[in-house]
Order: sequence, then C-alpha cells, then structure tokens
Amino acid sequence: MNSLHVPKWLFVSIALVSFVGFLDATYLTAQHYLGFELNCSVFNGCETVTTSEYSVVAGVPVALLGALYYFTLFIGMFVYFDLQDKRVLRVLMSLTLLGFLASLWFLYLQVFVIKALCFYCLVSATTSTLLFVFGMLALFRFRPIE
Amino acid sequence: MEQDTRTTTDIRGSYELKQEEKRKKMQTFQRGRMMRRLALWTGILLLVVGGVYGMVKLVSSSKVPSAVLTETISVTDWVKGNRNSKVVLIEYSDFQCPACGAYYPIVKRVTEEFGDKIAFVYRHFPLQQHRNARIASYAAEAAGKQGKFFEMHDKIFESQAAWSESLSADEAFAKFAGELGLDLEQYKNDSNSSEVKARIDQSYQSGVRSSVNATPTFFLNGKQIQPRGYDDFKAIINNELTTRS
Repeated sequence: MNSLHVPKWLFVSIALVSFVGFLDATYLTAQHYLGFELNCSVFNGCETVTTSEYSVVAGVPVALLGALYYFTLFIGMFVYFDLQDKRVLRVLMSLTLLGFLASLWFLYLQVFVIKALCFYCLVSATTSTLLFVFGMLALFRFRPIE
Repeated sequence: MEQDTRTTTDIRGSYELKQEEKRKKMQTFQRGRMMRRLALWTGILLLVVGGVYGMVKLVSSSKVPSAVLTETISVTDWVKGNRNSKVVLIEYSDFQCPACGAYYPIVKRVTEEFGDKIAFVYRHFPLQQHRNARIASYAAEAAGKQGKFFEMHDKIFESQAAWSESLSADEAFAKFAGELGLDLEQYKNDSNSSEVKARIDQSYQSGVRSSVNATPTFFLNGKQIQPRGYDDFKAIINNELTTRS
C-alpha cells in the first residue's frame, strides 16, 4: 500500500462505505423482486416509497442501479489498488458526483412528491454523500501524483 | 595466461550464477504477488457473493407470515357471504391505508366470485399515522347499524384518495350516508357514540392479540395468507375449499 496515492484511511473509508451502500441497495433490490411489500405497517408507515412509480426507471428498479453504482465503486477501488492506475481513481471519484446528484433527486422526490421517507433510501443518501466527500478529497486534497 | 582464463571463467560463472539467482528471486517475488492478488480477489468475490446472499436471505425470512388469529368469526363481526361456511376469510384493514385501497377491488372481486361458498369478515385496524382512518371506521359502523356496513365500506374505499388528507372527512362520509338512504340523524348519533368507538377498539385489540402489525392482514381459516393479486387469492381460496370439502 506504500505506493497508493490516497491515504490509507481514505482508501479504507471509501471501500467500507461503498460496501455498506452496496448491501443497502442490494437489500432494496431483493425487496423489489422478492418482497411483495404492499401494506401499511405499525412501525414504518406505508411502503409508499419503494412501491411508488418513481422506484422504477425505464423498467429498471432504481435500487438495482444503486447496487450497481456501489458495486462499481467498491470493486473499482480494489482495481485501483491492484493496478495502481491513477486514471481508475479519477474516474471512480468523478462518479461519486453522479451518485450524490442522484441521491439529492431521490431525497427531493421523497420529501416533496411522494411525501414519505424510506429508511433504507436515507441510508443510501448518507452513503452516497459520504462517498462524494471522500471522492472530492481524493481528487483535490490528495491529488494523485502525475 | 592460464590463470587469466580461469579468472574470466570464474567471473563469468559467478555473473551467470547471480543472474540465475536474480531470476529465481524475481520469480518467487512474482509468484508471491500473483498469490496475493489471487487472495485479494477471492476475498472480494466472497464478500460480494456473501453480501448478496445475506440480503436475499434477510428479505425472504422477513416475508414469513407471523400473525396468528386468536378470535374466530363471531356474531359481532360484519360478514359478507355465508356466515356458516367452512372457509372463513378475515381481513384486518384500515380505510385510509393505500395498500388496503389497492387490495379493495381484488377482495371485492374475490368475495363476489365465491359468493356464499365463503364467509368474508372485515375487521377494523386503524393505524396511528392515518388521521381519518378512525372516523372512516365510525362511519362504516354507523351505517352497519342501519344494515349498510358493506355498502358504506365500498363507498369509503372507492373514494379513498378524495378524503384521505381532508380536514372534513366526516362531511364526505355523511354525504355517503345520505346517498345510501340512511336515517341521517341516527347515523350522526351512532358515528359519535361511545358504543361504536368501543367496537373499533375491540376490533383493533383483537388484531393486536393476533400479532397483526400491518394492514391489510388476511387470515384464511385462522392462517395468515399473503396473496399477490387476484389470481393468487383465488387459487389459495380454491385450495382451501377443496381440502375442507
């Protein structure tokens, strides 16, 4: 790890947070395909978010897109670690902006359009925001050596 | 001369030896690196596969029905179909719950199709987060006192979106009472009566005792069922009818 361009703590944090995000989005994807969750619960209100029309984009559940995004980041970090190619890091860290913007959009939908919050979606919003912060740190604060 | 040649051969020999050693070292180093890479990617693969497996397992285990009906059909229940049928379908429902609203046309179709072959029982389970759910259940009970429980039940569900967030839902229900030709004075008294409120509480408590924690919750002959749409619903009931006859 001595020739890594980003500090060890940052590398570990990105890998860890993207894995948490991956688990969270995988859970939601499994819920989408396996769990026919059409009810209102005493504990978490109604399943209006994960069953709303906004939960699917062109036939693909957004949860699956999220899982792929976190998967790319998680695997990508190890590809970078393995190959020590700073271009990989630059592409990955630029991706976090996309993830962050997507999360802002979903948060807006939940608060202002669907008017219901979903716990696992908020977890995802948190992980993607963290990844964005880490990504910007990796890109600008700890600039990969040319 | 001889000595010189020997020396050169020695030097050459030791140089080649060193090269050989270097190559070997390089080989072991590269083999070690390959092994480390292999270990890294195997570990990552296991982590990802394990994670996906765990999440799928988590979702499917939470889908196991956990509610157990404690109170079977009784004289105080609102029943559609044949009260004495061997197949009893009980629904714990909340008039304002969107999921219950989504199930309403399915349940209606099922009860119409099976008619007197089954008994369908509607029990109230108004949830805290729905501001008008209780008022709606009072309206249905009050209509029931004049023999129009399921008529009011249908009207309430069919217009769910219109009154759900309304601040004057009671007026909407009173209008339905008028449309159903109910005695409005009596309807108003009944919908505000402590008797009706007590009935809703009893219904809710029976749900709590049966471990109901979400609406709609369906019980078929005491066993919780989770039908995924009309066809599934029909198949489950048909199956029960064959085993009971």
